[in-house]
Amino acid sequence: MRIIIDEKPVEVEPGITILEAARQNDIDIPTLCYHEAFGGQGMCRMCMVEVKNGATSRLVASCTYPISEEIEVSTSTPAIARIRRNIIGLLYRRAPNSEFMQLLREQYKCPEVRLDVNQEENCILCRLCVKACEEMGSSAIAAVFRGTDKRIGTPYDDAATACIGCGACAQICPTGAIAMTESEDRRTIWNKDFALVRCQRCGQPVGTPEQLEYIASKSGLALEFGLCQECRRKQAAVKVSGYHR
Amino acid sequence: MPAEIKTEPNEKLLLSIINNYPGEKRYILSIMQDMQKQFNYLPRQGLEMIALHVASPFSQVYSMATFYKAFSLVPKGRINFKVCDGTACHIKGSNVIIDQIYQHLGIKPGETTPDGEFSLETVNCIGACALAPAVLANDRVYPKVTSAGIVEIIKSYGGHADASSK
Amino acid sequence: MQAANDLGSKLILVCCGTGCLANGSMEVYQSLKKQLTDSEVTVKTFTKPTGCNGWCEKGPLVKIMPDDITYCQVKASDVPAIVEKTIKNGELLDRLLYRDPQTKKRVKSHHQIDFYKKQHKLALRNIGEIDPASIDDYVARDGYKALAKALQEMTPTGVVEEILAAGLRGRGGGGFPTGIKWRAAAEQAARPKYVICNGDEGDPGAFMDRSIMEGDPHTVVEGMIICAYAIGATRGFIYVRDEYSLAVTNLGIAIDSARRHGYLGNNILGSQLCFDIEIVRGGGAFVCGEETALMASIEGNVGEPRDKYVFPTEKGLWGQPTIINNVETWANVPVIINNGAEQFAALGTAGSKGTKVFSLVGKVVNTGLVEVPMGTTLRDIIFTIGGGIPGGRSFKAVQTGGPSGGCIPESRLDLQVDFDSLLEAGSMMGSGGIIVMDDRTCMVEIARYYVNFLAGESCGKCTPCREGIKALLDTLTAICHGQGREEDLLYLEEISQTMQDASLCALGRTAANPVLSTLRYFKAEYLTHIRDHRCPAGICRELTEFEIDPAACTGCGLCTKNCPVDAISGEKKLAHIIDQNKCIRCGECINHCRFNAVLVR
Repeated sequence: MRIIIDEKPVEVEPGITILEAARQNDIDIPTLCYHEAFGGQGMCRMCMVEVKNGATSRLVASCTYPISEEIEVSTSTPAIARIRRNIIGLLYRRAPNSEFMQLLREQYKCPEVRLDVNQEENCILCRLCVKACEEMGSSAIAAVFRGTDKRIGTPYDDAATACIGCGACAQICPTGAIAMTESEDRRTIWNKDFALVRCQRCGQPVGTPEQLEYIASKSGLALEFGLCQECRRKQAAVKVSGYHR
Repeated sequence: MPAEIKTEPNEKLLLSIINNYPGEKRYILSIMQDMQKQFNYLPRQGLEMIALHVASPFSQVYSMATFYKAFSLVPKGRINFKVCDGTACHIKGSNVIIDQIYQHLGIKPGETTPDGEFSLETVNCIGACALAPAVLANDRVYPKVTSAGIVEIIKSYGGHADASSK
Repeated sequence: MQAANDLGSKLILVCCGTGCLANGSMEVYQSLKKQLTDSEVTVKTFTKPTGCNGWCEKGPLVKIMPDDITYCQVKASDVPAIVEKTIKNGELLDRLLYRDPQTKKRVKSHHQIDFYKKQHKLALRNIGEIDPASIDDYVARDGYKALAKALQEMTPTGVVEEILAAGLRGRGGGGFPTGIKWRAAAEQAARPKYVICNGDEGDPGAFMDRSIMEGDPHTVVEGMIICAYAIGATRGFIYVRDEYSLAVTNLGIAIDSARRHGYLGNNILGSQLCFDIEIVRGGGAFVCGEETALMASIEGNVGEPRDKYVFPTEKGLWGQPTIINNVETWANVPVIINNGAEQFAALGTAGSKGTKVFSLVGKVVNTGLVEVPMGTTLRDIIFTIGGGIPGGRSFKAVQTGGPSGGCIPESRLDLQVDFDSLLEAGSMMGSGGIIVMDDRTCMVEIARYYVNFLAGESCGKCTPCREGIKALLDTLTAICHGQGREEDLLYLEEISQTMQDASLCALGRTAANPVLSTLRYFKAEYLTHIRDHRCPAGICRELTEFEIDPAACTGCGLCTKNCPVDAISGEKKLAHIIDQNKCIRCGECINHCRFNAVLVR
């Protein structure tokens, strides 16, 4: 199926989203809540584009709009630039201390806004952490409450039984809003304390016992606490080369 | 006056509520509603049991419990005042009633008196706009409540009208 | 209903809608039943509780048929007199009759009252006339006749064509043509298909759906069955606010008795149609009035909407073709099938056919539910039916469309109300709330009120809605507290624009309407708050001081009596004075003063 993105005709598979079509064709549409692994969430609304279908034209979220007709898409018009600038401005207003938002705010040239000086929030509610946790099979965290009080949390903000301390949420978070601290032998995340297994050879953190057990049970591989990935690879290489000697 | 339900939750009672429904996700809301009616709040144990029953993550069940306004995670007072803050009630002075309750019981919306007798919340339009401003005490609707009227209502439930010293 | 036809018998209808119940109508009903049994009444009587008559202002209402007598504000203590005088001897009790404020004459029947004269009841046709718990009452007033007609005389396509020809548009807010929806769902090959009744009425100031579900539940059930036949659906859901306990009860009774009478279940009325309905109680979330959020809620999820680039008619509940219509829309369906599209389309305006139920509330004399043909002017609704503004105050604005609507000023009162004219005026139909505001309503504060409402009711999923509402609320709060700056007004407009353009669902896209419409019509009031630090309506407490005009004050003492903090003092018959240090600016004095002696400084 043939559609037009920014005046350029492109061939696409029907049913994929505009965002996917654009990325396949190296056309950049900014996103905050999108990740290839999870698909479009339609939440941040940074990816709004203009879709023309015959005589009608409207603004849509490109990450959730499935292509079913021969549409004409514009990814950067003055109206879209205005939306993106305001969204960044609003999210900066929410998380003014986050370096990520400070950077974006400069990039999008957002005007000054009155700020709540006590604002200590870093989270921009993209929910990539929730998706990552879901993907890991834990679903220890979720978006809780609603409206302007909405936030990410564990049930009752307690240490969550389901959390395995894998840290996937902290890793995927764009603003560094999820605190994960590590000491010699402990890892703390979401108010839960874990033992931290370190590599016997190089001393790098391997993970928490819960996490390693989980991976072992999912993959069917034997539970191994000894080495980090890097060192294990090296060891395997040595073994293999041994056979050929 | 309807009798206030103040049953202490226990596993047997919780199970008897949960087992009225098949173990499907779509019954979470109904189970929660029954629990809320029974205990005046959703006990944590109950939410954990719902999660098991419908095979959903606890975090998602908790997320629902916090999303829907009909549910409370902490026990409400024996008498729960709901002051309607729908538009009609708002422009006819619902905020004056909220102030008066604070003056006399020392509680703001979302709070409960230390003795567990009274709690206060504001609710969205209860569809009694022609009776604005309206107040619910548990399930009873009081129409056209004035600032003096709310004091009488508080007294009728045994609230001493001078607890303003809180 | 056979009761009324029974020669010499009397039918006594006691309004037991929420408004009348709160004013003690259940006591009236029970007392009537008891005394009619206890005392020796020779005429045969039938006493019935009915749904809301709409005229909540004058409730509890008692109607006596066939004499066509309407008694207002009846108390249980009035019952002996009603039984002894009216029922036994046919005498009228003057003091319980409505007194026309113009002619000062007592009026016997509600049909002669302005409040009812201009109304045209379709959706509310049975309410107040039947016992909602009785299927026989419903059937006696042509109930389930439309269903039989559809099943026996019409094809499914014929039913869709009829709804299309009637020009019925969704009564829940959007005004989308119902027939087009039905046709789209009927064309889908996927099975099963679902039919949903959206009874999650949430607009503050609107209670027509509640009234229909409580007072005439079968009309909703019948409408849904007809749709199931038209599109080929097998299951239906009625999603009701759990707070509407009477509606839940009455719908439950209606579904049970419809099943027993063969209107629900397998092979309905001997046809091939198999369809059943279940009730889902909502969890208290305004956003669940949005159809994709409602479906998420039925499925057992958090009520968050999704983008509707694929319509629910194609992929709705559990990914299947689904029709969602609002309660009032369903109530119109049997009327259209029974009387024909032509008769329905003869009422209303070019683009909006039929009638609309409005809940007329706020600063208006006759608050209650009214049903009028589309195209009736706001002035007629507020002044002729509603009886104007009480307490000698002046009209300032009328708010329509709930939190997504807007405020319309006096200059536009001759607007003929329909879906399109309201949009053009910067407001919308919404579910039909009409909230009348007088000069004691602050337009900045009212905008803040709606935005604050949405701050708690937005689902919080998408950025423009969640963060935009927060930004609007903070800015409006600053203005109400006297910390506004002129550039704030530009910021409000800028953020509102992005909320309209980029929000995920209709809640977010319309959330800024109250702000934009008040800025459009009442900008001067914003500027008075910002530049002069004054709130002309005397509502924003930080910007208000009340004072008593010594020339106008008669020293009646009414303000002193009503002041909750004893801030007013003065000798009897001499001008009173307000102690500004004690005053909490609640406004009780200005609300009670009969001589306009309390001024806002």
